[in-house]
Amino acid sequence: MSNNKFKVLIVEDEANISSFVEMLLTTNDYQALVAHTCTMGLTMFASHNPDLVILDLGLPDRDGLELVRTVRQKYMTPIIVLSARTDERDKIEALDLGANDYITKPFGTGELLARVRAALRLNRYQNAAGGAPGGEFRAQGMRINYDRRKVYIDEQEIRLTQTEYNIVAFLSQHAGRVMTYAAIVRAIWGDTDVGSTKKLQVNMANIRKKMGSRPGSNAYILNELGVGYRMVEEEAEKQPPKTAE
Amino acid sequence: MKQKPWWKDPVRMLCALCAACVAVVVVQKVTGRIDGVAMLIFLLAVFVTSMYTDGYFWGVCTSLISVLAVNFAFFSPYLAFNFTLPENLFSGVVMLVVSIMTSTLTTRIKKQEQLRMESEKEKMRANLLRAVSHDLRTPLTSIYGACSTVAENYDSLGKAQTLKLLQDACEDAQWLNRMVENLLSITRIDSEKVTVQKTPTVLEELVDAVLVKFGKHYPAIPVQVELPEEFIVIPMDSMLIRQVLMNLMENAALHAEGMKTLTLRVFILGSRAVFEVRDDGCGIPREKLRTLFSGTGGTDPSAPADSGKHGMGIGLSVCAAIIKAHGGEISAESRPGEGTVIRFSLETEEIELEDGEDEQ
Repeated sequence: MSNNKFKVLIVEDEANISSFVEMLLTTNDYQALVAHTCTMGLTMFASHNPDLVILDLGLPDRDGLELVRTVRQKYMTPIIVLSARTDERDKIEALDLGANDYITKPFGTGELLARVRAALRLNRYQNAAGGAPGGEFRAQGMRINYDRRKVYIDEQEIRLTQTEYNIVAFLSQHAGRVMTYAAIVRAIWGDTDVGSTKKLQVNMANIRKKMGSRPGSNAYILNELGVGYRMVEEEAEKQPPKTAE
Repeated sequence: MKQKPWWKDPVRMLCALCAACVAVVVVQKVTGRIDGVAMLIFLLAVFVTSMYTDGYFWGVCTSLISVLAVNFAFFSPYLAFNFTLPENLFSGVVMLVVSIMTSTLTTRIKKQEQLRMESEKEKMRANLLRAVSHDLRTPLTSIYGACSTVAENYDSLGKAQTLKLLQDACEDAQWLNRMVENLLSITRIDSEKVTVQKTPTVLEELVDAVLVKFGKHYPAIPVQVELPEEFIVIPMDSMLIRQVLMNLMENAALHAEGMKTLTLRVFILGSRAVFEVRDDGCGIPREKLRTLFSGTGGTDPSAPADSGKHGMGIGLSVCAAIIKAHGGEISAESRPGEGTVIRFSLETEEIELEDGEDEQ
């Protein structure tokens, strides 16, 4: 890399939105590229090889989901999906196709920057460690020892069942990313029958109870209602809460 | 129009005819004479049938049967048909005319009723639109004003002034967003008629999502939470119910003056989960309590909202519509000076747990 700025490709047809996102990223020391259509986005992706893609799903020429599909055939570049639709189904589809995260319009600048940082950090970590589990995972007060299959909170061991441990470990390997119910179920049980989401939810409720989480203050495993779960990132820096959501 | 079973109309016709027969026989028994009255009574039967059945068919049918019946049973060659009598022909024509005219009239009235109902619905929609556009314009004006002030007077404004203007714009934009979320919820219900798309939702996760969102907007307001211990699953459109809880808690945060504690409580009553949002603020006056969920309280231009913030009525009527679409009930209880409780209930789902888990 000639300069050590991260390259972010913004694929968004609304000029106002893309210009404010571009400005936001530039002032925060990222190099921003803008594409206004899906086709243009794919061309620019191929020629610039960005570190991150911010993608709007409603594009004039083609559905943004296609870009996710095309990119994922070859690259692991993190993709954050911007969605004006409040429908869970779109988000879930994008996530299942391999998008890393989603953010619903309208969004605050603080929220967007946090997601960008998280996605980039995640990628760096995966590049270094090859995404292979092993060793330890630390996030806030939680520590996961992959070798001994044990989870500690504030150095107190949490007694989890096999299934519960598998869920926690799976989420930690994709920390910072929203994992859909279907993705988790597939990874843990291998099947996706009708009752399996409920099985997952029951296990999740037990995990939360054992971790001592209270509604509204789930410290380690965040719940994305109707979509899935997300584990807080490793070595998360304490960011001051922004005023604009 | 409502669909009724196909057999309703013929049964009605038969009833009218039988009643007419019985009446004629009774009159005959009492007075001994029948000629003139029989025709009148059957005419009444024709009229009644035409009125209470759809379309022309059954009315015309009745008049034909009536003519034949009267001819057969109640005119001079008794128990035999006689079509040579001219009055028979006349009475037949009169009955036909009566039945056709009555049917035409009733059909027209029914159509008018339908039109009236449609226009009423239209009027309600127009009222809502008017109220909404009014409510949307206020924050838009301030956003537009603030932004253009900053853009046009960038050099002459002080840093603090600029910041203040922009923060106001942010705040109003967020308010606008909440408004739009509510409107989206309404369309989501409207487009799918009364049924909403329900997915099993874990109560704890719902409450968690609501609290996280509420905490982001109102970090200074602590919320007391009381939940049942068990694992509870409720079939619902989680996006919509989250909106309901957000609206209720936001109302408390914005309107309940002097509130010290805000409580979100959920308990199980039979097969239903009862949600309760309770505040100990200023309460709602009795007059307003009645129209609280109808959407007229905050949007009626003749009743200016005494609280500073606008659009309260819409939020609550959205809540009511959502809960209704879920087959639940919503109610409000308030004592001025003591606080308000808003309660709604939803059907829970039976869950059978397999406890075949291996302890590690």
